[in-house]
Amino acid sequence: MTQHLDDDAELYALGYTERERSEEIEAHLATCAACCERVAAAESVAASLSAALPPMPAAAPQRRTWWPQLATAAAVVFAATTALEVGFVHGESDRVQRTDVALTALASTHFAHTTLTSRPGLTVKAIYSRDGAWVYVVASGAPAGAHVVLRQGAAQRDLGALDDGAPATLFIHEPGRGDEYDIVAGGNIIAHGKPMY
Amino acid sequence: MALDEAAFNDAYRAHAGRLRAVAYDVLHDPAAAEDAVHSALMRVWSGGSYRADRGALLPFLIACVRREALDTVRGSKRRHLREVKVAADDPVAIDETAAIDPIEARRIRLALDTLPEGQRDVITRAYFGHRTLLEVAREADLPLGTVKSRLAAGLRRLHTVLSLGAAPS
Ligand SMILES: [Zn+2]
Repeated sequence: MTQHLDDDAELYALGYTERERSEEIEAHLATCAACCERVAAAESVAASLSAALPPMPAAAPQRRTWWPQLATAAAVVFAATTALEVGFVHGESDRVQRTDVALTALASTHFAHTTLTSRPGLTVKAIYSRDGAWVYVVASGAPAGAHVVLRQGAAQRDLGALDDGAPATLFIHEPGRGDEYDIVAGGNIIAHGKPMY
Repeated sequence: MALDEAAFNDAYRAHAGRLRAVAYDVLHDPAAAEDAVHSALMRVWSGGSYRADRGALLPFLIACVRREALDTVRGSKRRHLREVKVAADDPVAIDETAAIDPIEARRIRLALDTLPEGQRDVITRAYFGHRTLLEVAREADLPLGTVKSRLAAGLRRLHTVLSLGAAPS
């Protein structure tokens, strides 16, 4: 294990560590509960400080296009949340800014995501709701026609094929819960990962 | 699970608004602030760096956005932002009336008042006065290491004060 963070915990929480150092800190945080707790405490203070800031002036200029894949993922996740059920999105979607949608998706603690184990050149991420209500699979470098399969014990369910986008994606309602997501192409499992509900 | 439309509306506005305010405070440029929010969210989204033991989500996101914004300022590609920032003659005080959350702003101001002067001074100059730590060191005639240790100690002390709920009166 690398060294504990000491004062860098607070400096990091306030954004005063250089990018390179921040990355080292994040690597340490992944392994150290004590430093995580310290950073979380500092971040909660930083959040309180931010309450004293004035809001950003209202007349922001036209939003630029950005990160279409995040927007897509977030929009899908957003659509899958209960917000839809109360009709908030209906008729108001034009007004919902992409940032807000993305944030709302992230602010929901009801989903998780996992990066599947795969061969080099293939990156697959599964974003899924903990209750099994939906899953969104995003794959870069997947061969055409690859399928997503959800395994549950000996049973398996083919959720369908990834689309041909870059990245390739698949959104499924009600996949249910399972032990493992597999990406299958040509009869071979080319990526696999376990959801953590 | 039913969700109250108004409550939901308020929640997302408040969160997105807070993140924009944090980025804008550093960058003084709405478009750059939006970019910083997007980049931070993208990083969180793709990196999987958030875990529940990192504490509540909003403080985590706020920290990510501020770090992203400061990284932008530190980077060379946005030199004009850096010039704006250094040239700004910012007040070093909390204006509760203009604050995004006036009640919390009052709580933090009262908590800051309980700090030793050296710690309070460093925090307010750096956070509310938009100085870099090097600029704080220069202005306060302190070694950079002292500025950093005071900032860290002050933040830890603020955490204690705020979690005791000792501030409002
Ligand atoms: Zn540690």
